[in-house]
Amino acid sequence: MGSGESPKVGVFVCHCGHNIAGTVNVEHVAELASEFPNVELSTHFMFMCSDSGQALIREKIEELGLNRVVVASCSPRMHEPTFRKVVEEAGLNRYCFEQVNLREHVSWCHMKEPEAATQKARDLVRMSVARASLLEPLEVKTVSVEPHALVVGGGVSGLRAALDIGDRGFRATLVERTGNLGGNLAKLSTLYPNNEPAKDVVDRMSLAAEASENVTILLNSEVTNFDGHIGNFEVTVKNNVTEEESEMKVGTVIVATGFDPFEPIGYYGYGDSPDIITLSALEEMKRDGTVLRPSTAQPPKNVAFISCVGSREEGVKGHEHCSRYCCTAMAKVAAELREEADEVLMLYDDIRTFGKGHEDVHRRARQEHVIFSKYNKKKKPAVKINDSGIMLKWNDVLSGENCEFRPDMLVLANAMVPPEGADEVAKIFSLTRSADGFFNEEHIKLAPLTTHTAGIMIAGAAQSAKSATDSTTQASGAAAKAVSLIARGEVEIESTVASVIDELCSACHTCVTACPYGATSIEATKGVEVARVTEAKCHGCGTCAAGCPSGAIVMRHSTDDQISSMIAALLSSAFVHGGGEK
Amino acid sequence: MSKKIFDPNIVAFTCNWCSYGGADLAGISRIQYPTSAKVIRLMCSGRVDPVMVLEAFKNGADGVIVSGCHIGDCHYSTGNYRTQVRFQALQTALESIGMDPQRLRLLWASASEGQQWAEAITEMTEQIKKLGPSPISGRGKK
Repeated sequence: MGSGESPKVGVFVCHCGHNIAGTVNVEHVAELASEFPNVELSTHFMFMCSDSGQALIREKIEELGLNRVVVASCSPRMHEPTFRKVVEEAGLNRYCFEQVNLREHVSWCHMKEPEAATQKARDLVRMSVARASLLEPLEVKTVSVEPHALVVGGGVSGLRAALDIGDRGFRATLVERTGNLGGNLAKLSTLYPNNEPAKDVVDRMSLAAEASENVTILLNSEVTNFDGHIGNFEVTVKNNVTEEESEMKVGTVIVATGFDPFEPIGYYGYGDSPDIITLSALEEMKRDGTVLRPSTAQPPKNVAFISCVGSREEGVKGHEHCSRYCCTAMAKVAAELREEADEVLMLYDDIRTFGKGHEDVHRRARQEHVIFSKYNKKKKPAVKINDSGIMLKWNDVLSGENCEFRPDMLVLANAMVPPEGADEVAKIFSLTRSADGFFNEEHIKLAPLTTHTAGIMIAGAAQSAKSATDSTTQASGAAAKAVSLIARGEVEIESTVASVIDELCSACHTCVTACPYGATSIEATKGVEVARVTEAKCHGCGTCAAGCPSGAIVMRHSTDDQISSMIAALLSSAFVHGGGEK
Repeated sequence: MSKKIFDPNIVAFTCNWCSYGGADLAGISRIQYPTSAKVIRLMCSGRVDPVMVLEAFKNGADGVIVSGCHIGDCHYSTGNYRTQVRFQALQTALESIGMDPQRLRLLWASASEGQQWAEAITEMTEQIKKLGPSPISGRGKK
């Protein structure tokens, strides 16, 4: 299809079952859209993303010679790739597709106003039809993939990922900030559910990684610079001990930067007595030998645990999530301590031993006569410290009784939180964060291992708090993603980059200073200085185009005309259909 | 003419990565807010040419929101610094032509801030209802 051809737009409005149609009158929207400029066909269907929905789009493109397609359905962040593929199968260029978000932006957030929601849906479709009429086909570019993966973080997730990539015969470089492999796992004693020493697991993986000819391990190192795009990233790694910097090219990245154990300052007297410690500290103590009461260096006789310390706190930023390891870890260590101690008490909010084999760990703690008591979340246990030691008072929810206990050691089951430096990692790899601060996956179910930055995967506790079992599972998945990309050898990249209209450019350098990537420069062409865009460096943000005082930069697929057409289409409707008249 | 409640028309420019995601999350979480804002999805808030904002007002928009990632969180590392600078210039320009600068809002909203997105739209809609229709639209006159 040439760009000079007059636009023939097809509009396909999706019911999404009841999701959209339950609020928006989709039939009416489709009917109204048939009157919009350049619309050749406007129709509606139960599920546009279903096989039959996709077939309908292809059929109509072929039957009516549609050259622009608008699908009004869910968020383009979810199904834009799906529908781009559909129009491509029918012979259209993928950039001649435009999506309207009638679900996340309309029906789901205006559920009680069906009429106003239908009007908004109409406006949004009108805007997209206007834009679609101005869309231009763009060349789809393919680049080769550097057969080399970067794995960031040498904990259990990073090790698993690097090993899997190496096993498949591809090169992986593992960058670890500290001087040791194993991350947080190396600080633990034994692992649930099968009581394997953590050291054995870490050693087995570290030795295999060190022995693998495909895996390069860089300790005491950090990624300091990161550039390029999927298939061809340029990475600078700095060794923090030698201060030496090395550069490498990689095709894909797995971010496995893990978590930090939460330091519960301000919780339950933490810091006020040496005998109030975190579960992480207790684990380290066990790893290094026997558990001793810090103040006396004697084995503790009465131990109390408190669950959910820094986890599941509604309204507390960064602490609303369940840390997903602590219930089982606490039950395991409580049962073990019962072998020596007289009393072990577990104050819990809820018990969530959900994983494979976890319930056995929970059951064993009960069999060992660990005392379980559900505390009142609204009136949390009180800790008093005086000369005679620690006094714990709480309300047992199930009996309604107020209880007291004098532990000689109090263990706080501390949360998993994003690690120090997560801000930097997010910035370097352009990752977004969830409310609890962990890195966002592209889609929680449809794309759980990839991120919104093409070519970058996440695994382990970097994505959300989780156990070693779940972390390694995810790491193997991310490695499979990386390997499939490398094995394919080439990958398509976005053609949505900036270009310069030489005749309009006055070489003012505005775009040069605006570009975050150094993709624009001023060069002399036939003796005249004009701006140039290095396409391989351009990420398509459009900051240069917005700044250009001469309108000399065309931001492909996001041109000034395309954006203006949406503004005009929206606001002309306000005059036509009212809204504001008294 | 029938008495119609003034229903503001707000043009919302959002970046694809943070704010569009935040607006998606508001929907996914079923947070309810007014239908006033119509989103124009751009890759970066840095793509918002001040001329487009003025164009929206010229065409009769009652309000304009420019929304992007928080400073420091930009998907394109520094695109939103530009947005901030341009926004300040725009506010000054609006004031100088007698347009209430409250009609233009800069909103930093991450992909996890669905609640903030919904609250901002609700707040701005209320604010503009108080200000009345844009003086440029001509709809304010009887």
